Amino acid sequence: MDKAEILSQLQEIFRDTLDDQEVTLAYETTANDVEGWDSLTHIHLVVSIEKHFKLRFTAKEIQSWKNIGELVEGIISKK
Amino acid sequence: MVFNSLPFTVFFLVFFVLYWLVFQRNLKAQNLLILTGSYFFYAWWDWRFLSLLIGVSVLNYLLGIYIPKAGSDAKRRLLLYIGLIQGIGGLVFFKYFNFFITSFVDAFQTININLDYHTLKIILPLGISFYTFRTMSYLLDVNKGKIEPTTDWIVFFSYVSFFPSLISGPIDRGTLLIPQLEKRREFKYDQAVDGFRQILWGLFKKIVVADNCAIYTNQVFDNFDTMPASSLVLGLFLYTIQIYADFSGYSDMAIGFARLIGFNITKNFDFPFFSQNIAEFWQRWHISLTSWMTEYVFTPLSIHFRDYGNRGLIIAIMINFFIIGIWHGANWTFVLFGLLHGSYYIPLILQGKIFKKKKSLKGKLIPSFVEFRNMVGVFLLAMIGFVIFRSDNISNAFEFYKNIFSLSLFSMPQFEGRMGVLITMIFIVVMMVIEWFGKSHEYAIAGIGTSLSKTVRWSFYYLMIIIVFFFSATGKEFIYFQF
Repeated sequence: MDKAEILSQLQEIFRDTLDDQEVTLAYETTANDVEGWDSLTHIHLVVSIEKHFKLRFTAKEIQSWKNIGELVEGIISKK
Repeated sequence: MVFNSLPFTVFFLVFFVLYWLVFQRNLKAQNLLILTGSYFFYAWWDWRFLSLLIGVSVLNYLLGIYIPKAGSDAKRRLLLYIGLIQGIGGLVFFKYFNFFITSFVDAFQTININLDYHTLKIILPLGISFYTFRTMSYLLDVNKGKIEPTTDWIVFFSYVSFFPSLISGPIDRGTLLIPQLEKRREFKYDQAVDGFRQILWGLFKKIVVADNCAIYTNQVFDNFDTMPASSLVLGLFLYTIQIYADFSGYSDMAIGFARLIGFNITKNFDFPFFSQNIAEFWQRWHISLTSWMTEYVFTPLSIHFRDYGNRGLIIAIMINFFIIGIWHGANWTFVLFGLLHGSYYIPLILQGKIFKKKKSLKGKLIPSFVEFRNMVGVFLLAMIGFVIFRSDNISNAFEFYKNIFSLSLFSMPQFEGRMGVLITMIFIVVMMVIEWFGKSHEYAIAGIGTSLSKTVRWSFYYLMIIIVFFFSATGKEFIYFQF
């Protein structure tokens, strides 16, 4: 799976979890850019991402991503 | 030396002149002035606490420098734990000692400030809870690599003891305040005017609204077993307003004073009574504490419990609110207050409402019926919680609840000085209306600087100043003592 593929799948997960079809993600996107992406929904998103990609992050990793790009890198490194 | 006192006014005037006219050219000298001023300010309350403040600063300053340099993970963790144990241990140790409370009360009385005892109980642990939370978040951020440890001891010591927010908030993060301390501040006229404006609004909320409410809420909570239920409900309403006006007013003053010396510190209240549910309320109430708790307690816990779905979230939120409760002081009432607010989240979590996008009321002039109903609902939940918060012990709180449900609920509320209650109510309405129209700004009257003509603006300021002078509660209390 390449980066663009992961990005588009992430976008679907975000749209479902945040119940907002207008969410558009790019590598530079941060939590500030997405309405409703806060500390609470972050955990919810992580759980959905872990289920979808069948992987498991550490607590440290979950709190370390600064933008979507780093999250994508995180997913690739676990694959 | 509270903000609305003569000693503080004199202190700040002298500080302001030295800061901008004498030490303005040299950053180091200016920071040293902040540090000296903060220590002077602190020592005025009680010089005995100063050594503790300095000791805590020294320890955390050194730990901050050595944590990133530690050779191994184990050593790094050890240094972090030393800091955290000092912080938590200090809180636990000092908050249980009555000696501290009484010495603070005495400190107030020696300078002729008789704050009512309850407010004092809230302020009291804040000094220590406050800088402890600053040092703990600093070490956690350094450990995570979120912030470079500062090697300038004056900057760090000033961060820990920054006088505008030292006693009662907001809790500033190192990531916000330390970079500002490291950079030169320039005097900006607009910023200074804005600072004054926020102080004026804070003064109005604190000494006109809150202190006037206090006269009646003290009556009600001291005599709740003999008063009719209608008085209890009105008193509880007034107390809910009082605690908001008191605390947010104090925060406004702190932020305003910080702005006058060129700093932007953390926003602490964002019109919490205009929230749509209790989760939103807590995102807007005492923000510097709740965001601290979210980052360092709730998020790690919810990550830890994430496989348990909603149950995990509920556990995380209950632990989070247990700590928020006990943070206010060593009393079971505060624990119960925290747990009650935690349990308010349970229906939201179970219905999944907590994850849904909330529509903000920010730009709205007139709320819909549902939005209005939600606001009233949040206010009622807050009122229920504040009974426990204000009561001396849990059995009093339950007695209070019980007394509300009696036939006397339908009688006229009885107070000493009915006219005073009426005037206080008018001020509450004025405050709430101004806050409603100003809710998209940093604070309620922030927009006045840009939206009104100079004449109207200055008339408003003068009117506010006159109101603050004539209707401040100390004058009021004097009148009521005659009866």
